[in-house]
Amino acid sequence: MSQTDNSTSNVGSIFKRSLLNKRLARSLWRTKLRLFAVIFMVSVGVFAGITFGGYSHNLEGMYDTMHGDDEEGANLADLWIDNRSSIWSAEQVSSFCQSLNDSWDNSVTGELDSCEGRTVIQGALFHNDSNGEQIINSLWHGIPADANSDRVWMPSGHSEGRVASAANEIVIDAHVSDALDLSIGDDITIGAGTESMEFQLVGIGYHPLHILMAPEGSLFPPEAGQYVVGYLSDSGMARLTGNELGSSNTILLDIEGTPSFDLPDTEEYEGEEIDLVKSLVDDSLNQSDLDARVRDRGQNEAVEVMRQDLEGAKRATIPFTVMIAAIASITIVLSLQRLVQSQAKEIAVLRTLGVPRLSLMQGYLIAPLVIGAVGCFIGILIGPWGMNGMLDFYQDIVGVPITERTIPIATYSSVILPTMIVVFLSGAFPAWKASRLEPLDVLSGQNQIRIGSNILRKLTSWMPTTLGLSIRSSVRKPIRLGMTFLAVGISLMLFGSIQMMSAGLEDTLISGLEEDQSWDAQVYVTPDGEDAVLEWASNNSAESELLIEMPLGNVEDSDGIERMFTLVGLNDFDDGMRKVNVIDGKAPSESNGIPEVMMDEGAIEFLGWNIGDRQTVSLNGDEQEVLVVGISRGEIARTMYFLRAELSDLTGVNATSVYLQLPDGVEVDTELGEVSAGIIERQVLLDGINVLLEQQTQVFQAIMYLGLLFTIAVMLNTMIMNVAERDFELATLRVLGASTKRLGSMLLFESLLIGTIGGIVGVLFAYGGAVGLAASFSSWQFYVPIVIVPSVAFQLMSGVIIIAIAMTPIGIWRLRKMDLVEKVKDLSQ
Amino acid sequence: MTTLLKMENIQRHYDTPAGVVKALDGVTIEINEGERVILLGPSGSGKTTLLNCFSALDSPTGGDYTFMGSDVPRNHSEKMTSFRRENIGYVFQFFNLLQDLSVLENILLIQELAGNKDPKRAKELLKLVGLEAEVDRFPGEISGGQQQRVAIARSIAKRPTLLLGDELTGNLDTETSQKVMTALVKACEQENITSIFVTHDEGLVKYATRVIRIDSGKIISDEAVNSN
Repeated sequence: MSQTDNSTSNVGSIFKRSLLNKRLARSLWRTKLRLFAVIFMVSVGVFAGITFGGYSHNLEGMYDTMHGDDEEGANLADLWIDNRSSIWSAEQVSSFCQSLNDSWDNSVTGELDSCEGRTVIQGALFHNDSNGEQIINSLWHGIPADANSDRVWMPSGHSEGRVASAANEIVIDAHVSDALDLSIGDDITIGAGTESMEFQLVGIGYHPLHILMAPEGSLFPPEAGQYVVGYLSDSGMARLTGNELGSSNTILLDIEGTPSFDLPDTEEYEGEEIDLVKSLVDDSLNQSDLDARVRDRGQNEAVEVMRQDLEGAKRATIPFTVMIAAIASITIVLSLQRLVQSQAKEIAVLRTLGVPRLSLMQGYLIAPLVIGAVGCFIGILIGPWGMNGMLDFYQDIVGVPITERTIPIATYSSVILPTMIVVFLSGAFPAWKASRLEPLDVLSGQNQIRIGSNILRKLTSWMPTTLGLSIRSSVRKPIRLGMTFLAVGISLMLFGSIQMMSAGLEDTLISGLEEDQSWDAQVYVTPDGEDAVLEWASNNSAESELLIEMPLGNVEDSDGIERMFTLVGLNDFDDGMRKVNVIDGKAPSESNGIPEVMMDEGAIEFLGWNIGDRQTVSLNGDEQEVLVVGISRGEIARTMYFLRAELSDLTGVNATSVYLQLPDGVEVDTELGEVSAGIIERQVLLDGINVLLEQQTQVFQAIMYLGLLFTIAVMLNTMIMNVAERDFELATLRVLGASTKRLGSMLLFESLLIGTIGGIVGVLFAYGGAVGLAASFSSWQFYVPIVIVPSVAFQLMSGVIIIAIAMTPIGIWRLRKMDLVEKVKDLSQ
Repeated sequence: MTTLLKMENIQRHYDTPAGVVKALDGVTIEINEGERVILLGPSGSGKTTLLNCFSALDSPTGGDYTFMGSDVPRNHSEKMTSFRRENIGYVFQFFNLLQDLSVLENILLIQELAGNKDPKRAKELLKLVGLEAEVDRFPGEISGGQQQRVAIARSIAKRPTLLLGDELTGNLDTETSQKVMTALVKACEQENITSIFVTHDEGLVKYATRVIRIDSGKIISDEAVNSN
């Protein structure tokens, strides 16, 4: 063959293929609605991926800038050594730091950059507004002007003024300045368990330990302005507390670089580097005769919670994208397969005319790629908008500025590549099916012949024949039905799992606080400061109850990792102001030997403990054997409950706070504020939790509703295909005299059947998703219990059934529209 | 003999871009109870359109059509369906049995739709068409001829007054066609059902009592025959 012949043949082949592809494109265009639905799904998947990917990338950038050891950053410490029940003198701190410096050796990664003392204490802000004076629970840091680590973060353009240096100066955290309408130069009054004092506001900034504005031991920030953090100078702190300059209750270590610490949400142990430092710290604490709790970044709740939040955002990128792409992919498979089926005769004719299998396959392989490319393009266009929306939302709810906003190429490729692979694969099966069609079988009608299922016949033989036919028709295409249920399942996993998890969280947290607790205010006290509060209560006819609550428990888990938990001592677990939801065993009672304790279900699960176990734990630095007698529910933080009297004996602390039930007309006042180290009102706490849960739900709400939209699209697609495929059968029945009403009832029953099965599958997927989400969110710091709230399951199920039933009118409309004369012609051909 | 149906000057015209197509152009005909009529004619002669008008699948655009003395509904889908359900049995060329239902269930379904489910009669009908051994088999498991006999049993299961068939042996070989037609004649006689069949197979004339030839939408001959 000559070269000219060859090139003519190639051109002919390309021309033939392009015509074949054009034919397919036109066929696809005839089902525009379905085509747009699939493109929409792909673009939403890419949009979600870029939104999450870009969000986590920029969030990470913000943390890096904030934690950085440079002029822009606040230099987050690597180790916190603290004791909240006593104050160390400047000499004690200096002696400890000297001892640590002396023992520092080459085995430790990085030089010790700084070892510095700080005072961090709870207190109150006395704030006047249009409602009168408010006593706001607060936390005060004393930060020397030349501090190296845990400085105030003052990002340019997002903060005001300067750090405090004089004894009467204060910087207030930017989270609350707007809510309290504070501005530079204002005089503000604060206290810390003693008398109140005035300070001048010289700056508004942020702190790496207070990104989430929640009091220590809680993960729920109260409403804006109901919890205040302020940063004084060291001399200002000395003035406020009356202690000598340089005395501290916290020592911060900053090590060159960042020694690796254990990440509580991973199975591996990454804490070897920081462990070397910790062992030197323990030695130096012993030498200096100091008792203290030692925490690395993984054990500092305020830091770890935000790291896990970031990790969660990073982890969500790929699964969400792939899940949405999978739904799109299933829809593409089903649609293309239906197309192949409806074009069987056309394909058979083409094959008879000599078109090779590969040429036929090509179009079905290219179609999803084109769909994917268009979807990806749209997703790329709208992705940055979604990312900015999420970052704005983060700024609104967390209150920290995201200074830089970019989307790296790697984010785009990590989203687009898996999407295109999933979408491409979805064309492979229909393409293969199209290429395997045998012209003779198709043209002789052999491919239409199928044999019913004997099992189904036996199972449904007792039913009225129309009912039996409905059931058999519904499950006639088990693969398609299975894939539909899979797609509905994934859609509902997006929609329902978040709803289930949120409902479970709300059920355990809110109902516990709302129904099981009856205090109005929790008044924190300095060591031995409870008498003044009790006196105030007595003078104001308020009921009072002492309790101990301090995050000073410590235990080594089965992997040898130190786990911190909160110690809670209550007088009465059944009739007190704070009842505890005991889900197994019993509440602690008075013991003669080993103290009885109850632990929350999260801690029990992580530690693998059981009721009746005797375990050794560390309480404020002292080893103690305890007997586990019960398991409780309702705590986000890991908690160990004692009888207060026993915990008091063990720790030497009589009470850390006092619960008050206030009679009508009595409110928290300045007098109470001055004798307290902070006050939390229960309603404020409840409002804060409610707001946070609402905000969390809002973050996922877009995804939830997309899941619902996908469920509708997937169900609609399948139901329309089911009805379209049954034109032949329905036409036969109509010609034989079946009324539209009768056939409509059959379709309704089928919809109901598919809806019910889809609903059950959806609920199972949603539950599986909720368990998976809870497991991925759950860590030692933040345990999410999965509590099935039946109403959510019913809602999901009803949703799917309603969607399925809503498709029946489409089937009836097709029946009414059916031209029986034309159908009879078809039936006779 | 009693008149079953009567058509007077029936017209079925279609408006097409190329002009009006007269599929039926003034057909006048009377069919008596118990007759076995065969409609013969070339492709496009209008025989299927006439059959569709008999069954009320299609509505004539002109003329009168009465069935057992009453006007046959037209241009009202549900009333036309109801007319078919109460009076007409239909046999298709390609059988059109429902593949998910067994042979017996295909018959029961039609009885159920007509509101008189009677498994005993369904089995008797299958026996009548010689398929008593196949009751539990699916259509895909039996031959084309057997499927057509099931279709005949199905069409008479609800005791229609009139049985219609369009090229009902068009998809079968000669030997099978004869078996099917024999079964059909036997069933119609036993059940006292009037029947009209469209075909272009002259060989089927021997099963008819009357043969009507049609061309260009008009009846060109109508003659009684002596069937075997």
